[in-house]
Amino acid sequence: MDDLTNEFVAESQDGLERMELCLTELEKRPGDAELVSEIFRAVHTIKGATGFLGFTRLQALAHTGEGLLASLRDGRIAVSAELISGLLALMDGLRAILLLIETTGTEGERSSDDDAELLALLAKLKAGEAAPELDLRSNGDTPSRNPGADFRVAAPIPAEASPNQHRTLRIDVEVLNRMMNQVGELVLTRNHILQSSPAAENFSELARRLNNVTVELRQSVMQARMQPVGHVFGKFPRMIRDLGKTCGRQVRIEFEGQETGLDKGLLEAIRDPLTHAVRNAVDHGIEPPEERVKAGKPVEGVVRLRAFQRDGAVVIEVKDDGAGISTERVLAKAMERGLVTPEQAAAMTERETLQLIFVAGFSTAKEVTNVSGRGVGMDVVRANLERVGGNVEVESRLGLGTTVRMRVPLTLAIVSALVVRSGGQAFVLPQNSLVELVYVPMRDRKSAVEQVGSAELYRLRESLLPLVWLSRLLGLEAQDCAEPRGFYIAVVEAGGRRFGLVVDDLKAPEEIVVKPLSGVLREIGIFSGATVLGNGGLALILDVAALGTRAGVRPAAESAAELDGTIEPARGDAAQIELESAMVIYESWKRGSGEIGRGSRMAMPLSAVERIERVPLSAIEYADGRAVLQYGGDMLPLEDEDEVLTEAGKDSDAMATIVICLRPGAGAPRRVGMVVRRVLDVSPGTLLPEDPELCSAQIAMVKDRVTTMHRVIAAHPGPPTMAILLEVA
Amino acid sequence: MSPTEATPVDMLMMCSFRAGPGLFGIDTTQIREVLGAITPQPVPLAPEYIEGVVPYRGNVLTTLSFRFLLGLEKRARASCVLVLDDEENEERFGLVVDEVQGVASVGRDSLEPNPATLDARSVALFDGTCRTPSGLMVRLDPQRLRPSRLAESGLFGSAQRGGKGEVR
Repeated sequence: MDDLTNEFVAESQDGLERMELCLTELEKRPGDAELVSEIFRAVHTIKGATGFLGFTRLQALAHTGEGLLASLRDGRIAVSAELISGLLALMDGLRAILLLIETTGTEGERSSDDDAELLALLAKLKAGEAAPELDLRSNGDTPSRNPGADFRVAAPIPAEASPNQHRTLRIDVEVLNRMMNQVGELVLTRNHILQSSPAAENFSELARRLNNVTVELRQSVMQARMQPVGHVFGKFPRMIRDLGKTCGRQVRIEFEGQETGLDKGLLEAIRDPLTHAVRNAVDHGIEPPEERVKAGKPVEGVVRLRAFQRDGAVVIEVKDDGAGISTERVLAKAMERGLVTPEQAAAMTERETLQLIFVAGFSTAKEVTNVSGRGVGMDVVRANLERVGGNVEVESRLGLGTTVRMRVPLTLAIVSALVVRSGGQAFVLPQNSLVELVYVPMRDRKSAVEQVGSAELYRLRESLLPLVWLSRLLGLEAQDCAEPRGFYIAVVEAGGRRFGLVVDDLKAPEEIVVKPLSGVLREIGIFSGATVLGNGGLALILDVAALGTRAGVRPAAESAAELDGTIEPARGDAAQIELESAMVIYESWKRGSGEIGRGSRMAMPLSAVERIERVPLSAIEYADGRAVLQYGGDMLPLEDEDEVLTEAGKDSDAMATIVICLRPGAGAPRRVGMVVRRVLDVSPGTLLPEDPELCSAQIAMVKDRVTTMHRVIAAHPGPPTMAILLEVA
Repeated sequence: MSPTEATPVDMLMMCSFRAGPGLFGIDTTQIREVLGAITPQPVPLAPEYIEGVVPYRGNVLTTLSFRFLLGLEKRARASCVLVLDDEENEERFGLVVDEVQGVASVGRDSLEPNPATLDARSVALFDGTCRTPSGLMVRLDPQRLRPSRLAESGLFGSAQRGGKGEVR
């Protein structure tokens, strides 16, 4: 195929892509003349070029289409669903021929390549005849005489399989000019350096210049490669329209963050997974209209695509307001398929259960439909994303909707990072997960790290930071015991977790080029890639979020709010929505005036608890008969509801456990120390709806046991949780 | 060099190398490059048969410890790395061996299948034997050595879970 034809195909495909967008828009705004003109132009351009290139079949089709569009433009016919479907069929027809030209060089002469039916359909539409048989619900399962239906079946092929689109890229001439300038600069600098010698006076200046030019050139190249994700979103309105008709759903699609830039290569990599996810959202997610009405939702379902950058990755969410995923059904199916054993299933959290849908061979569709439900959907999505170093997760609330969240790292990008050393090896910490660095000198080693059970904590200003020793986590031989010296804490935050990563040494920050790892090494799950350092050595890039998970660090604040955003829970359902939150459980013998018996469990929300201290009784002082504790330079009033202090008397050797929490009051919440008998546990619990007849206090279920909430603290909504640790006495 | 009098068509060019006491060979057409003395960067928590990673042509190459696969002790010093390509699966990887000896031409007629009594691990790795002047050479097939295939086979262990940060 010669260059001219190549260019023609690429240009025509671009035109058809615009036409596709305009067509779905046109259905919403039938009176928009600008849209009609745009569509007309696309078809007209194709027709114009086909003449001298000698593609008669394409020309005939484009000509007929142009005639129809001219009638529409001049107002002789009106926009109708039939017309839009006919024009979409025309577009598919043109696309199919273009694809044929692109792959074979000819427009096809076989009998199956006959456009007579389509031409007749277009002529009929032009004559203003309605084409009622264009009901797309009969989508070609049965061999019908229905032209519209036949063309619909052919539709998905050209839209997805055109190789040309993926090989060419439009670049702003400005960007290209800038790149050329910078390359010129680079050549000049090289000449300078070649003529100079390292001993020359201006050598360091030349090196600096080389650095500047490299940085600028890199930015330009990156910019040229960046494409808005909207390019991929473009085909979805059409797809949703067709799918909605096929599945009998009323669906609307919404976009957000279309302008988010993503590297061209990655954009191609997410195209198919995204298509799968959107299909699933319509087919499995959105309920049929009658069910939606029964559930009290608007008849029209919404699929929302949102793209944004976070933590050095591009996140793309596909969110629907459909039926949600039933975890029970997922588990039942997984057991039926032998993917998990009943014991495993019992131990799985809701989140883990949902991720089962990404396992190969899993499909919960009650029956196989021709849209999705072949059980090859979500595992392919995951495989495709993982191939480019990304990942995918799903969140769902029964009755409210499902969110599929894809994360594509900027694998091809160059990121700034900090090189650290641990266990004699170099590792790379991406700068975007780094919060701050702390050096703990040798003399402070003992006092700085607090031991709580098996966990170690570092007090960073007002909060406690869980520490993770990188060398131990990776099973490297720790060198820290052998030669006593200080260490560094890299305070990192990723995936909602904040913790201190303990390393032996820090090196200079570097800009690194991320190289993907092979599948076997990716499977370890802790390294997101590798890089060649300035000194020529290799270093592995740490995946901070995965490190946190592996070390068992709890997320500081569950990202439960993520699903909220636009999908508001229906009012009536409020009581059923579990108010699950983390609680501190402690033992109490008395409450208020009355004895409630030994071993009673009380709880307060973890969000209200700032810190748990063990102090010797001798440290507790009394002012005006009230117990107080010196804490952080302040006087902390103590409340002794359980009369622990009274019982212990003045036995100065004993220790008291004090839960320091924020007590809501008239003004700002005040800090108060609750003296408790002992802290039993920290665990997620569910607040039960208050029932004054049954019990005067707020009750929560924690690990299947009834637990009384602390009467004052329970009502407190709580500040954002700080890094909390507890000491189980 | 050739002990047989076969025509070149019937000859295979084998790159011969040693690992421990054994002599092994891989068809030269399947070897992309031989890297000289190089010490791969170890990867914590990786399966034991992974020796580490080495930089190779702007990419990161995963290397296998052939000694470990054979059940020998790993060596802590620089070794040779054979860069192997599996075109079918688009997987490129390195094989760390003790030393590369040279290229030996072997007659096709001297190729023999694996002995029936070979253990499962070796069956998974070896692709028959052939006679050479310096003794019996075990033939290897890069296809069988792909890291992803070794991981699937489960014969050589898998990724380690690693210790928890606080466990000591």
